[in-house]
Amino acid sequence: MPTVDIDPDELRELTGHEDKGDDDLIDDLFGLGLEFEGRTEDGEFELEFAPDRLDRLSVEGVARSLRYHYGDARGVHVPSPNSAEWTIEVDESVPDERPYVTGAVIRDVNLDEDALDSLIQLQEKLHATMGRKRAKGAIGIHDLTMLKGGAATDGGNPTIRYVGVEPNEDRFVPLDSDEEMTPAEVLENHQTGEKYADLVSGYDRYPAIYDDIGLFSFPPVINGRRTEVSTDSRDLFVEMTGTDQWTIDKMLNIVCYALSARGATLEDVRVEYPGGESGNADSEGSRTQSAGREIVRPDLSTKTKTVSHDRIETILGIDLDPEEVIDLAERSGLEAERDETETGDLVYDVTIPPYRVDVLHPLDVIDDLGRAYGFNDLEPTYPDVGTVGGRHERSRLERAARTQLVGLGFEDMLNFHMTNEAENYERLGLEPGSDAYGAGEPATIKEAYSEDYTILRTWVTPSLLKILERNTHRSYPQHLSEIGFRAALDDGENTGVGESRHVGAVLANHDAGYEDAKARLQALARNFDVDLETPPTEHPSFISGRTAAVVIDGEDVGVIGEVHPKVLVEYDLEVPVAAFEFDLEALQ
Amino acid sequence: MQLPAQQVAVVEAASADEAQSVDALAAATDLPPETVTGAVFELEEEGLVAVEERVDETVTSTDEGAAYAAEGLPEVRLYEAALEAGADSDPVQMGRVIGASGLEGPQVDIALSNYARKGYGVIDSGEITADPDADPSADAEANALEVLSDAGEAAVDDVAVDDATADQLERRGLLERTESTIREVTLTERAVTELMAGIETAETVGQVTPELLTSGDWEDVEFAEYNVEADAEQFEGGKVHILRQMSERVKDVLVGMGFQEMDGPHADADFWINDCLFMPQDHPARTHWDRFALEQPSHIDELPEDLVERVERAHREGIGEDSEGYHSPWDEDFARALALRGHTTSLSTRYLSGEEIGKIEPPARFFSVEKAYRNDTLDATHLLEFYQIEGWVMAEDLSVRDLMGTFEEFYAQFGIEDIQFKPHYNPYTEPSFELFGTHPTTGELIEIGNSGIFREEMLEPLGVDCDVMAWGLALERLAMLTTGAEDIRDLHGTLADLEFLRNAEVTY
Repeated sequence: MPTVDIDPDELRELTGHEDKGDDDLIDDLFGLGLEFEGRTEDGEFELEFAPDRLDRLSVEGVARSLRYHYGDARGVHVPSPNSAEWTIEVDESVPDERPYVTGAVIRDVNLDEDALDSLIQLQEKLHATMGRKRAKGAIGIHDLTMLKGGAATDGGNPTIRYVGVEPNEDRFVPLDSDEEMTPAEVLENHQTGEKYADLVSGYDRYPAIYDDIGLFSFPPVINGRRTEVSTDSRDLFVEMTGTDQWTIDKMLNIVCYALSARGATLEDVRVEYPGGESGNADSEGSRTQSAGREIVRPDLSTKTKTVSHDRIETILGIDLDPEEVIDLAERSGLEAERDETETGDLVYDVTIPPYRVDVLHPLDVIDDLGRAYGFNDLEPTYPDVGTVGGRHERSRLERAARTQLVGLGFEDMLNFHMTNEAENYERLGLEPGSDAYGAGEPATIKEAYSEDYTILRTWVTPSLLKILERNTHRSYPQHLSEIGFRAALDDGENTGVGESRHVGAVLANHDAGYEDAKARLQALARNFDVDLETPPTEHPSFISGRTAAVVIDGEDVGVIGEVHPKVLVEYDLEVPVAAFEFDLEALQ
Repeated sequence: MQLPAQQVAVVEAASADEAQSVDALAAATDLPPETVTGAVFELEEEGLVAVEERVDETVTSTDEGAAYAAEGLPEVRLYEAALEAGADSDPVQMGRVIGASGLEGPQVDIALSNYARKGYGVIDSGEITADPDADPSADAEANALEVLSDAGEAAVDDVAVDDATADQLERRGLLERTESTIREVTLTERAVTELMAGIETAETVGQVTPELLTSGDWEDVEFAEYNVEADAEQFEGGKVHILRQMSERVKDVLVGMGFQEMDGPHADADFWINDCLFMPQDHPARTHWDRFALEQPSHIDELPEDLVERVERAHREGIGEDSEGYHSPWDEDFARALALRGHTTSLSTRYLSGEEIGKIEPPARFFSVEKAYRNDTLDATHLLEFYQIEGWVMAEDLSVRDLMGTFEEFYAQFGIEDIQFKPHYNPYTEPSFELFGTHPTTGELIEIGNSGIFREEMLEPLGVDCDVMAWGLALERLAMLTTGAEDIRDLHGTLADLEFLRNAEVTY
């Protein structure tokens, strides 16, 4: 689970509860679903957060939630930005892969060390979560006084431009560097550039942002040094680029709310997308929607969800007065207003503040109400619903066969389904895809994490031999069995993978032989009233002349024999091993 | 009749007229006395002998007493030396008399302490007098010692020593009294009759044999005794794997609670594993590093077209008027990609969609205890493959209280009480809870599962129009809790140690 670091002193200051002790704060935070994990070296709280409430990724957001929790704040508060002065002009050259941009101007912000740290953390956490590691949305924050946009347009309004550039078309000095570099050089030679190079590796043109002076930002990779924000910065320009307008607009709202909580003034920014005739329009349906549009950001409009009173009561399992519902909503930082449907049912029009990104459905409002009520205050009830239980036929068969095997003296094993080709075929002298029982073509794992686990096992005997190999220091006899999952390629299946259970058994003892295995196999066949035949066959894992096919009710479903000495030696075994393996379904 | 050899010997040595002690019988039969005692008791039970018990007291002189019998009592020797020195008329210096008496060490004190008591004379201020009338030959103690040393060990009644003297000698440590139980055995009339008829010696046998049973000889044989306390060799019978036992127990509990079992593919399309669960395609859990995508085969052949359409619409637009959906890309090719299921909720989506067993009508309860695959680092608490307990309840108007009540009931079956519900976030449930329970032995609060009420955005495309609540839990976690196993790898996989499995306690 992701964590966020919060300075408790700042939290006390921002909530106005200067006298709260650390323990009280920790309890209050747990009530919000922010679990205290420990302290950082600087004594900050390390809090675990669920990735839905991304508005709580900074001390300002946590303080806001606490104020609602304490009842110090109620309902929805929306700041009013001043009207736009700046414009972001989106050029047709912007890469198709990253067409969207948004932005806001922040004035008179008091950025002390703490506030700057908090802003940087918020930016990082938003990148990691909603921004999908900057792929979906990337944030750039600039010192506004360093930007020159005055003469760019005829209307006199200052403008910056979001464009696409050739990899080596222009140069700028990136953060943490003294050198001018082209975007391509940044990806190759700059630490941050290398880290995020994958994000733009498929791009023909790189995203770039210009003011009158020139290139100052290379999203989503790095900003230029010229506009770097410091504790001296008073006015900020926040821009975000991404693959989805809604996502970056919501990320912007969260940043705007955080800075507004520190007393800053918000100012709108105009975003002008290029005309609809551009060649970019076909890349995404939504791209077409933005074509030629002019939008004003931040979009601090609220949403309304209509939530049925009846649904609230059935989900929470309690009766509530409308006044209680309205109160619970306000304590959650929402606003609920009574309404009626056409059929006269009681509903609430619930206002959702612009920083909430997790309210997709009226159900999410009910969850908020439940949290405000306190889920643990609800009395559990056993649902008064009668149903008939039962096991799946496969599972019943498996249990019956396992019970018989145990009765025959086998120790029941349980092995991994994933293995590798060496374990599954080579060590048993088996050729993948050959006719031998168990040698089917394997389902393979893509870009396997470990070379030990690259395929699904095609049979279970190798797993049992491996257990024998690991337990040569334990007492004999070792009679092991497993009724286990196995899989192999099968064109006849919708998934292309034929999955089934095999019954596998090995008998390892100083005098173990074919007869011992056959006697037990016969007992199984008798118990399940199936007809068993064992015509001689050849199998590379078994001794020639002591190997038979397992034929049940006329179907060739397995193999039985004495394991070949070359296999025994491979597994460091010094006792003979007799074994059989066949399809569980044959017992059906 | 037939009797065991020892009993035959005793019967033959005993007499009907004269009672004989066990010791006497032991001497006569050449058997150890304890064997004879055992045989006598068994014969008494059979009514073949009568046993009389009495307690005998015997007295013997101690080594010290025997020595005094030979040399004379120290006080007597002192008196004789005193007479010699003329102490019968005038007091004599003590030192001179003692020197002359030849008494040494502790004997001096013994002599002095008994001298006056017995009236041999007076000792005063270092001088000793001797009573001329005293008569050592009439000293009862000395005489008794002489008798005892002549008699050796003797019954109290056979010795002419009066009780007072004997007590005195015992106090002085010169005489020892011993009590012993004497059993005297006489043959009964029945024994005499049987003897006349003839008593044979019975054999002891080690093994019950077919001959023994069919011949009826078993009635007369004696079975050789075993050391029934000795350890036998270790036996390894078959045993159901400890984790399987746990899984069977869970299945039993769930079937008892009215749940039906689900089954389905391990390698499945991401559509069933994630898309149907309303997991956005750009969710971090759907990236390569968390899952086992398949290289070959790479994609499922067919998905139900109309369902794909409905699921895509839910992702893009949500469900109903006030619903938004995700602002995430959605690509059918990605949905068709195959992977090893990361959770068995893929079975739930298949069942809920009607794809597996047709449309399911409420109320219904379904479960599975099946394997899921997650790309994690293999260590003491994490496996790449684990068993997930998956369960859901479908009914009209389910509440979070129903969900809580169901879990309390389920976990109580495993001794886990005081379930706590921590509000949580899952993309596919709302409200969602992490479940915490108290460890039955350590009392720790531990996470034991994840749960919630399935979202409408998930259920509606699947064609479900009532409520479904669901939960998931790793079986290994439950097994570690209830068995106390510390390393999950002992429980599962080819690293298994047979000894651990053989010794593992059975769960029920």
